[in-house]
Amino acid sequence: MIIIDKLCYQSKLRCVNAMEKFIFAMLTLILCIVSRSFTVSVLVLFITGILTVRGGGIPVSRYIKAMLVPVVFLTLSTLAIIVNITRTPLDAFALPAGSYYITGSCKGITEGLRLMLTALSSVSCLYFLSMNTPVTDILEVLKRLHVPRIILELMLLTYRFIFLMLNLSSAITTAQNARLGNKDLKTSRTSFARMAGSVLILSLKQSNALYDAMEARCYDGVIRILPAHHPARRSEMIAIAVCDFLLAAITIFIKIRR
Amino acid sequence: MTQKQKKQIAAVSIFSIAFGIAPAVNAMHIMEGYLAPKYCIAWGILCLPFAAAGFLKIRSTLNENRRSITLLAMSGAFIFVISSLKIPSVTGSCSHMTGTGLGAILFGPCSVSILGLIVLVFQAVLLAHGGLTTLGANTFSMAIAGPFAAYGIYRLLKKLKVNHLAAIFLAAAIGDLFTYCITGIQLAVAYPSEAGGIAASAAKFLGVFAPTQIPLAVIEGLLTTAIVIFLESFAKSELTSIGFFKKEA
Repeated sequence: MIIIDKLCYQSKLRCVNAMEKFIFAMLTLILCIVSRSFTVSVLVLFITGILTVRGGGIPVSRYIKAMLVPVVFLTLSTLAIIVNITRTPLDAFALPAGSYYITGSCKGITEGLRLMLTALSSVSCLYFLSMNTPVTDILEVLKRLHVPRIILELMLLTYRFIFLMLNLSSAITTAQNARLGNKDLKTSRTSFARMAGSVLILSLKQSNALYDAMEARCYDGVIRILPAHHPARRSEMIAIAVCDFLLAAITIFIKIRR
Repeated sequence: MTQKQKKQIAAVSIFSIAFGIAPAVNAMHIMEGYLAPKYCIAWGILCLPFAAAGFLKIRSTLNENRRSITLLAMSGAFIFVISSLKIPSVTGSCSHMTGTGLGAILFGPCSVSILGLIVLVFQAVLLAHGGLTTLGANTFSMAIAGPFAAYGIYRLLKKLKVNHLAAIFLAAAIGDLFTYCITGIQLAVAYPSEAGGIAASAAKFLGVFAPTQIPLAVIEGLLTTAIVIFLESFAKSELTSIGFFKKEA
């Protein structure tokens, strides 16, 4: 039901050390937003795209479709940055509307495009992490970064329950659809509310039983998962270091020249 | 608001209605990489006290009764699922609830701040709604400002003896609108307009997202009310266990 979660288990890069992937994704992400330049963004898009599609074996069509997820937000808000409404026209374009102008400046348009590219390359970094690393591995990384135990436990259980609830809700929705529960807007709204309510009630009932079941298996506040041991390879570490060092060098170069 | 700003808002909303018939409407998550580092850090720091309060609250709840961990996790998963499902909306486009109002009314704003943080991490990683660098900003608008506003309005209207259902509707709808306003302001502070500064920029951002967000707020209000009616008529005892009726008394 959640495509990214399925893809990351099939990824060929799944068995690469999770810490490595995490550090690479985060460093590159930070360099992206710090530099905010065309060069770095294009490079990052290229590198992470190749890594995810070729390295991870994620289908290209899936990857492109996933890259288009935030496109509505991206266009609308970049539009809001580029377009101005003023009494005096700016230099790039100006449409007169009454005594006002719908207008934009060249600088604004360049900034907007740069922002779009930065955002897309950042999303590709995020995808590199999430399409190649299962959530349980990410939790393992967070544990090594000393995130509080309670939060991790809560995250692990929440992650598990999300799928239980999604299954439940899709079963209920199917049943409702089979009984014309969505014949018009009003019924479908009622159906949605009833579905949501039932999902909550059913899972609240289950949560008690679940705790009993876990306690019967000696649950003491921590679910101990044996982490799959994938040691970091030296060649990979060097590649990551070189790559991020280069990106950092470009960033510094651009920052000095600006 | 000055006359000029009013005109700006009107013009921008007409423009955006014409331009922004969006195929998919997500709740307003600021996407990955859209904010400069200093804003990411600033919003993150602003979230810290709330997250700490939520963490302490959850820890004391768990110390009191260890069983509630499954309950809390279920609540978090519920918020995630509610906000990831398509809801029936007017245009036939697929839009999502924020779930903040419902969460705040059912589970209380303090635990929602931590649950919301967890939900936002999963939304970023599993659905690419929002992002890791913009986690702070999104947490502030969706897991802190929205729920606290919704909860405040709910309590206030209950005190004023307003009709129960109207209180829920208004709390959820205004909580949603508040989230959207905060996000608009966050974007405006990060990208002030070349002509008119932060105020003009805020007007632009709010205007651009208004045609999708205002109907969504109404739908969110209606659905939240319907869900609460359903729960109250079928699951009084379960609601007591998550503390819904305890707070009423």
